[in-house]
Amino acid sequence: MIFEARGLTKRYGGLTAVSGVDMELAQGDLVGLIGPNGAGKTTCFNLITGADAPTSGTIRFKGEDVTRARDFQMARKGVARTFQNIRLWKEMDVLDNVRAVCRAGEPCGFAAAALRLPRFRRVERAVTEKATSLLQRLGLGDVLAESPGDLPYGDQRRLEIARALALDPDLLLLDEPAAGMNPTEKARLMETVRDLRREFDLTILLIDHDMKFVMGICERIYVLDHGERIAHGTPAEIRCDKKVIEAYLGSEC
Amino acid sequence: MSGELLFWLNLLVTVGIYTLLAVSLNLINGHAGMFHLGHHGFWALGAYAATWLTLNAASLPGPLLYVLSLLLAMAVAAIGGLTIGIPCLRLRGDYLAIATLGFGEIVRIAVQNSPHDFLGGSLGTKVPRVLMEVTRTTQVPFRFLTLAIVAVACAAAILVFRNFLRSLPGRRLLAVAQDETAAGLLGIDPTRSKVLAFVMGSAVAGLAGGLYAHYMGGINPLNFNFMEMVKMFLVIVLGGMGSLSGCVIGAFLVVATEQLLNRAPEAIASWWQVLFPLILALMIVFRPQGIFGRKEITDMIRAWRRSPA
Ligand SMILES: Nc1ncnc2c1ncn2[C@@H]1O[C@H](COP(=O)(O)OP(=O)(O)OP(=O)(O)O)[C@@H](O)[C@H]1O
Ligand SMILES: [Mg+2]
Repeated sequence: MIFEARGLTKRYGGLTAVSGVDMELAQGDLVGLIGPNGAGKTTCFNLITGADAPTSGTIRFKGEDVTRARDFQMARKGVARTFQNIRLWKEMDVLDNVRAVCRAGEPCGFAAAALRLPRFRRVERAVTEKATSLLQRLGLGDVLAESPGDLPYGDQRRLEIARALALDPDLLLLDEPAAGMNPTEKARLMETVRDLRREFDLTILLIDHDMKFVMGICERIYVLDHGERIAHGTPAEIRCDKKVIEAYLGSEC
Repeated sequence: MSGELLFWLNLLVTVGIYTLLAVSLNLINGHAGMFHLGHHGFWALGAYAATWLTLNAASLPGPLLYVLSLLLAMAVAAIGGLTIGIPCLRLRGDYLAIATLGFGEIVRIAVQNSPHDFLGGSLGTKVPRVLMEVTRTTQVPFRFLTLAIVAVACAAAILVFRNFLRSLPGRRLLAVAQDETAAGLLGIDPTRSKVLAFVMGSAVAGLAGGLYAHYMGGINPLNFNFMEMVKMFLVIVLGGMGSLSGCVIGAFLVVATEQLLNRAPEAIASWWQVLFPLILALMIVFRPQGIFGRKEITDMIRAWRRSPA
């Protein structure tokens, strides 16, 4: 298992946002996390990425206990994410949003940067090349110099994916990547997510409210309700699960 | 005639020193987005470090001592920045402002209350002339020489900051300033980025302190009071938070206003102390992005060239 959460719990004051959730991901999995509004899905992402510390429970990633790791440490260990409420750096252009995240083979020290030493040029070239190719891969090769705030919604979501990939992650968490996209864009995104998993050797966990999207690409699905895991299984199993229909899907089976 | 020349030379040297203070404050407050109000403390650390070395290494050749004392000024201020940066930069917004303001005042008050045989205490101290002999007849060449040195220092500082901001660590700093949470989740250590900006900024403020001490030939703790911090803040608010070229223009406006007012009859002269905070307040209310905003003068020229006449 590349990722394992046991008894994951998060309480905010009197509210239990996530309650005793177990979750496992094997290398290469493409798994969905669904549930009604306020079910605790985004909170799960926050716990996994170290944005928030769990009240109890443990998280293991690549065999290591990372329950208490900080956000930037998790990112460097290989957990990258996108945000439900898009969080791009609006005052930097598209290329720099990705370049800020890229890690080149060697660090670019302050002195090398300030004095434009050869090392700075090497790092800069490597980082620019990597960022450009990621952006081209996500179909954003033509808007490198634009401000992310000026891009259409779908492009902003794909820019967030490009930025996350700049970390060379092993585990990619996508928080409602299809939100705000039209059906054509959604279909294209499904294609993209599937391909990216293969090209970048990713394990992917994604949240979305569009069941066609989630059921269409995920091999397994976890369902949360009121912070608790109420079901887990293949899309077919989930679609016909009594509890899931009652709590979230309505009558779909 | 020479009086007039001396006045303008003094004005320009002072503009240069405030430019150094402003670009370094701007790196911290503008680019890195922190609310830091203790820059006068780093300035004082640099001035006193340079003075201390100049007083205690008198046997060294003058120009060498001048350079060494400037390097020491930067190092001491940078160490000051590191020491207060690591604990303080976990604080946000107003709390950071209060903590850094406290630091700035502590530096001044500590010197003020130190024994008179150590850095002069509250009376201040003379700074021996090491660059060249300064008499009434050599004032003009001395000021020209200082102006050249200060101009080189400004150009170097601006170039280094500009290069830094367009590099990997610089972009990380900008990312942290714009959305710290997102930055952290994308593998950027916000504290490290901020401490780096803080240390770079304090080092350059220290350099300004060293240059100032040698130029003035004497310093005292009141040179580094909070009103100086207000002036620096006004410079970056006028010029634009996040614009390096804005700092140069802001520094010129503020210093020229102050010095021209100083020539006026005494009844008007001290009005800058009222005028500056007032302008500062008005700017913050009506044009918080400053004259330049985040733009550089080079961006504007390029945009102006591109636009059809
Ligand atoms: N930082 C916080 N402080 C207090 N309460 C929080 C915090 N973060 C989330 N919550 C609460 O925890 C619960 C779960 O929120 P969460 O954002 O995880 O839901 P979600 O499943 O992502 O919902 P949605 O589908 O609407 O995005 C909600 O009731 C929310 O108000
Ligand atoms: Mg959510």
